[in-house]
Amino acid sequence: MLSKEQLERYSRQILINGFGEEGQAKLKRAKVFIAGVGGLGSVTATYLAAAGVGVIRIVDHDKVELSNLNRQILHCDEDIGKKKVDSAAKRLKSINPEVKIEAVAEKMTEANISELVTGFDLIVDAMDNLPTRYLLNKIAIDKEIPFFHGAVNGFEGRAMTIIPGQTACLRCVYRGAVVEGSFPVVGVTPGVIGCIQATEVIKYLLGAGQLLGNRLLVYDGLNMKFTQFKVKRDPNCQHCGALKDKN
Amino acid sequence: MSVKIKLHRSLAKLADGQAVVEVNGNTVGRCLEQMSARFPKLKKRLFEKDGALSRILEIYVNGESIYPDELATVVKDGDELDTVVRISGG
Repeated sequence: MLSKEQLERYSRQILINGFGEEGQAKLKRAKVFIAGVGGLGSVTATYLAAAGVGVIRIVDHDKVELSNLNRQILHCDEDIGKKKVDSAAKRLKSINPEVKIEAVAEKMTEANISELVTGFDLIVDAMDNLPTRYLLNKIAIDKEIPFFHGAVNGFEGRAMTIIPGQTACLRCVYRGAVVEGSFPVVGVTPGVIGCIQATEVIKYLLGAGQLLGNRLLVYDGLNMKFTQFKVKRDPNCQHCGALKDKN
Repeated sequence: MSVKIKLHRSLAKLADGQAVVEVNGNTVGRCLEQMSARFPKLKKRLFEKDGALSRILEIYVNGESIYPDELATVVKDGDELDTVVRISGG
């Protein structure tokens, strides 16, 4: 049951055909895990909080640096040196005080990832490195939690939605590592990709539309071009190969 | 027999700025070898030292993933290959 104030706050999205109060209630009941509150996480968390997702757990062990501020829109000048999850939680609460924000300033590792994601309906991949993405992909598969992948570099980005047992996972389509370290990026790129991830999350929670499953969406901002590539489950996948097909 | 290889921006720079290169190999591996023979600067970006496909490169044929046996994948006249460089920033 939505309060009078909630009905007003979310009135414009409740108006969407197929959304309605029932859809809003689904968002309110949802518990979303966002891995990282950098460029992608700032955007996904902002829009999911504004949309009225009930609980958002943000996990990031970094502190805010000046070089983050061209793209990590949850943090500002006065936050430099503070924990990212603290500045992010403060800003998210100011956007929507109704959303419960759980800020966890921990590094995600094999030892703690299972406990961290337990009880959450889905995981948003807003990381900046492939090893942690693989860690998240594996736990998402093991616990059969939907996983919303996004990545950026320069003016380029990509997104893919993973529904364990139904669609290809990251390991089905990726071979190994990439060059790690400081990567070039302009803030609008995680803006675009983070919004796509948040859109996918909202669609999933509503049960609306067609998700980016078995499709890798590649964004080329310089040519303003989106390309979709078909991907498929690898029966020999190290992460999801043993998972029974649920299609 | 003609196969078009669409080059990622970072690869096109090493192929005299060409965004599309036409080759006539019958596998993805042969197509990439032909292209790197024509544009030697591409070789290091396309292949690992042991001849495997570069670990940061993804190849799609007619818009579909051919992972994990990219180089051995058979191609035919009119096929189009996309070369995509993997990214992982956030």
